Amino acid sequence: MKYELVAGFETHIELATKTKIFCGCTTQFGGEPNTHCCPVCIGLPGTLPKLNRQVVRYGIMAGLATHGEIAEISKMDRKNYCYPDLSKAYQISQLYAPLTIGGYVELSSGKKIRLHHIHIEEDAGKLIHQHGDTYVDYNRGGVPLIEIVSEPDIRSIDEAREYVEKLQQVMRYIGISDCKMQEGSMRCDVNISVRPVGSEKLGTRTEIKNMNSINNICKAMEYEFERQVDLIESGGQVVQETLRYDDATNTTSSMRSKEDAHDYRYFRDPDLVTIHVTKEEVEEIKSTLPELPTEKCKRYVDELGIPEKDAQLLTKYRNISEYFDKACEGVKSPKTVSNFIIGQIFSRVETEADKEVFDVSVNPEQLNELVKLLDSGKIRNNLAKATLEKMLDSGKGALEFISESDMGGLDENAMLELCKQAVESNAKAVEDYKNGKEKAIKALVGFVMKNSRGKADAAAAEAKIKELIG
Amino acid sequence: MGTIAKIHEMLTTKQCSCTELTKSYLDEIEKSNGELNAYVNVTGDEALKTAEKVDKKIASGEEIGLLEGVPMTLKDNLSTKGIETTCCSKILTGYKPIYNATVWDILQSQNAVMLGKTNMDEFAMGSSCETSYFGGATNPFNTKHVSGGSSGGVASAVGANIAAYGLGSDTGGSIRQPASFCGIVGLKPTYGSVSRYGLVAYASSLDQIGPITKSVEDASIVFDAISKYDEKDSTSKEYNGDTYSSLNNDIKGMKIGIAREYLDGVRDDVKEAVLNAAEVYKSLGAEIVYFDLPALKFALPVYYIIACAEASSNLGRYDGIRYGYKTEHYNGTHDMICRTRSEGFGEEVKRRILLGTYVLSAGYYDAYYKKAQNLRGTIVKAFNDAFTHCDVILAPTVPMTAFEMGRAVSDPIETYLTDICTVPVNIAGLPGVSVPCGFNAKGMPIGMQLIGKSFGEAEILNAAYKYQQAAGENFKDTKWGVKL
Amino acid sequence: MVTREDVENIALLSKLFVPEEELDSLTQSMQEIIDFADEINKAPASDEAFDNINNLSNVFREDEVVESFSSEEILKNAPEQAENHFLVRNRE
Repeated sequence: MKYELVAGFETHIELATKTKIFCGCTTQFGGEPNTHCCPVCIGLPGTLPKLNRQVVRYGIMAGLATHGEIAEISKMDRKNYCYPDLSKAYQISQLYAPLTIGGYVELSSGKKIRLHHIHIEEDAGKLIHQHGDTYVDYNRGGVPLIEIVSEPDIRSIDEAREYVEKLQQVMRYIGISDCKMQEGSMRCDVNISVRPVGSEKLGTRTEIKNMNSINNICKAMEYEFERQVDLIESGGQVVQETLRYDDATNTTSSMRSKEDAHDYRYFRDPDLVTIHVTKEEVEEIKSTLPELPTEKCKRYVDELGIPEKDAQLLTKYRNISEYFDKACEGVKSPKTVSNFIIGQIFSRVETEADKEVFDVSVNPEQLNELVKLLDSGKIRNNLAKATLEKMLDSGKGALEFISESDMGGLDENAMLELCKQAVESNAKAVEDYKNGKEKAIKALVGFVMKNSRGKADAAAAEAKIKELIG
Repeated sequence: MGTIAKIHEMLTTKQCSCTELTKSYLDEIEKSNGELNAYVNVTGDEALKTAEKVDKKIASGEEIGLLEGVPMTLKDNLSTKGIETTCCSKILTGYKPIYNATVWDILQSQNAVMLGKTNMDEFAMGSSCETSYFGGATNPFNTKHVSGGSSGGVASAVGANIAAYGLGSDTGGSIRQPASFCGIVGLKPTYGSVSRYGLVAYASSLDQIGPITKSVEDASIVFDAISKYDEKDSTSKEYNGDTYSSLNNDIKGMKIGIAREYLDGVRDDVKEAVLNAAEVYKSLGAEIVYFDLPALKFALPVYYIIACAEASSNLGRYDGIRYGYKTEHYNGTHDMICRTRSEGFGEEVKRRILLGTYVLSAGYYDAYYKKAQNLRGTIVKAFNDAFTHCDVILAPTVPMTAFEMGRAVSDPIETYLTDICTVPVNIAGLPGVSVPCGFNAKGMPIGMQLIGKSFGEAEILNAAYKYQQAAGENFKDTKWGVKL
Repeated sequence: MVTREDVENIALLSKLFVPEEELDSLTQSMQEIIDFADEINKAPASDEAFDNINNLSNVFREDEVVESFSSEEILKNAPEQAENHFLVRNRE
């Protein structure tokens, strides 16, 4: 029998606020243990939480960026469980009335992975286990998170990978998180089940917790898919449980122990009041959102005539697309700009990390100037390419490298003169052309281009040479 | 009587220095605390330091505020920086907060002289002060009787003149009930009028800090001082209490309501004293109106469900890791936490944690917690409706007078019933003040309660003040403590 | 009906040990309190909304950094600590 994978994600993203969700302590990553703490975030008796306005704003931005509906009324709940990394023995979260409802993430295939909701909550502290001793650091305790909960719409490992990448991309675009999986600012739990292809009924699911890279997510899902299929095939049953993935052995194992009773006893947090978001506030926040990658990509293809593949490269990181947008201002051929970026500039910005930062020695205004020279016919493509290399080496503008005499193209007489020279000094090529070797003409055009130092219009030169040869 | 007003006058007219006054309070504590068990921690050195500061100020001719230099106490669930704050629980022994409760910040900035921290039921869970890890505080009218609870230590100390006033907390009657038992005044303010920041939480949606004092005037002075908006408490309301200026307003035509349900099951001597008070009000020109408040029938179970649910969550943090008691012998973290909690909490606290966990757990949430929340809405609405008929509500504070020590421990449900008249106010977030209104045959004080509209402290204190003026004989001093 | 299993389960959730010999009496006592709490289920159905006492909404803090406490202060009350961490030492 053939089986199909059914998966949904719960993705935690740390928000890039300056301070924690309920107190004024910094959210900076790292720091000496227990130095980003105060009575509130270590849960001293009698302390009270006060909600950070920016957390709500970022949550709304995340909702809007994923096409969700922003709840007019939302509330904070307590999720009760006793564990040393949780200073109050409850996590302040949202269950009964989350901040945003619904929405979706669109994959490149056009398939929409629906979201159930997005809620805001606090992160827990960090535990270090050593020789059976447990060391507790609350620096991360109280750092704001959003949890993005998807519907079980994912059907393959590829879709899972793209879903996570798309989420990462869009959250970075709107600037609410750096989404660094290796630093834990983005973490995924995956709910996974299998069912015979064609079946409508969902199988029993397991949950794989806290994976810290996209590769691990994919490997864990692959392993878990195989494990569940094997289990069913051999007559067994999948048990609903929480699993941890071990990337060293590439296996999943149960996290359950006798000590964990799972009943979070959620109830409204009496220390915090209702969050009321008006339509006007939602509109105001919407107006500050940048154009999102999926929409941007579509626009590049439909309006600017950029090939789909290139448009995806340009929109992968917000900094690249913004560079492109600026460099395109007022140019006739955005495709030329795109080619310069994806070709010459990308060859100098190789790693993904560098692409994300996209700190290029030539600024977009300088590239814009160069492309405009090309647009106006003042310089030719070869010269532009060579000039861009020099610009990238030096960080200087195009005009530093192009003299007056290089500009303006060739006049009629000079062009005629060069074409004549080309015919005269390349008898073999002329002969070949006459004998039906169409390609031989390229050598003659090349001669003109070379001797005009790129100023000649190649098409015009070809026409003139054909005329001369007869 | 050692009221705030009297002490202020003595200090400003230099009848005694603040240091002398403080010393005499400390001496009296030394003498009587063995029998009263009101204080669990006496902070004499700090008190004398503040007193010295006040004396210097007086000597230099500076004006001093009403609360400046007045010796007082705090219930041991109010966070005091550097001073042990135990909630009278073994689990918090040795815990010295690194921050102050907002109310203590306010009073400390006014040079209040804190004599020490006072006894209470463990985590404020109890009605007799006897669930305290340190044993109960006794009643200054008869030390074989309980002080009441949970703020029993404050009431005992104020009743025995070993503090001029104190701050307690009231979740289901914990200020008003001991005030009633000890023959003094206790004000439970409107929810949100006094910051809860630094009050160790029992049930967050019900807890409120308030004064326990010898007179209505004192309650007004202290309430006005501590009722300030606090940005640290999200449930704090933008409201600054001003009750003092209207204390002596004429109450002619004031409509005082009596809900029949409040008199059900109340002992005869208590009922009689309350109805006598109604007569006093009539003589002052107020109008007495009777009405029904059937929603009160459910107040007690609603209270216990909500209070225990919140408590089970609030008390989860006592795990032996960050502060307080930690067990000696254990095997792993889970075992350490369970042992610490099982050894550190008393029976009543454990009972309420278990009940709270039960009503929130899967399968029971809807039937208990959610239902109780709905009924809470019903009770709020019933009070709102009642206040269309009357300005304040008059009721007994407790259906009985202070009982003998040891009785409360035997039957939890019977003990819960003593809260029947006090909990509705907490459920609805309203202000209520308990005022002495007589004595029973054995000479034990009886208290009555005036309940106001939301943020109606000025009105109930005005009515209470007028009563004190007319029936001052019910405000009887005890044999104990500093005589001024 | 409160069962022994219920009590064992809520004790585990509450992180409290109930000695085997106290389980029956505690179950009994819990049953009595639950019977008392059950009074509310005699109340007529009510959809009276209750949100928070003063119907407050949108009480926020601005996203401005306030200086944290020193780790020395944070750890001041810790029963056990090491290397700036709270510590649960293995006593096995």
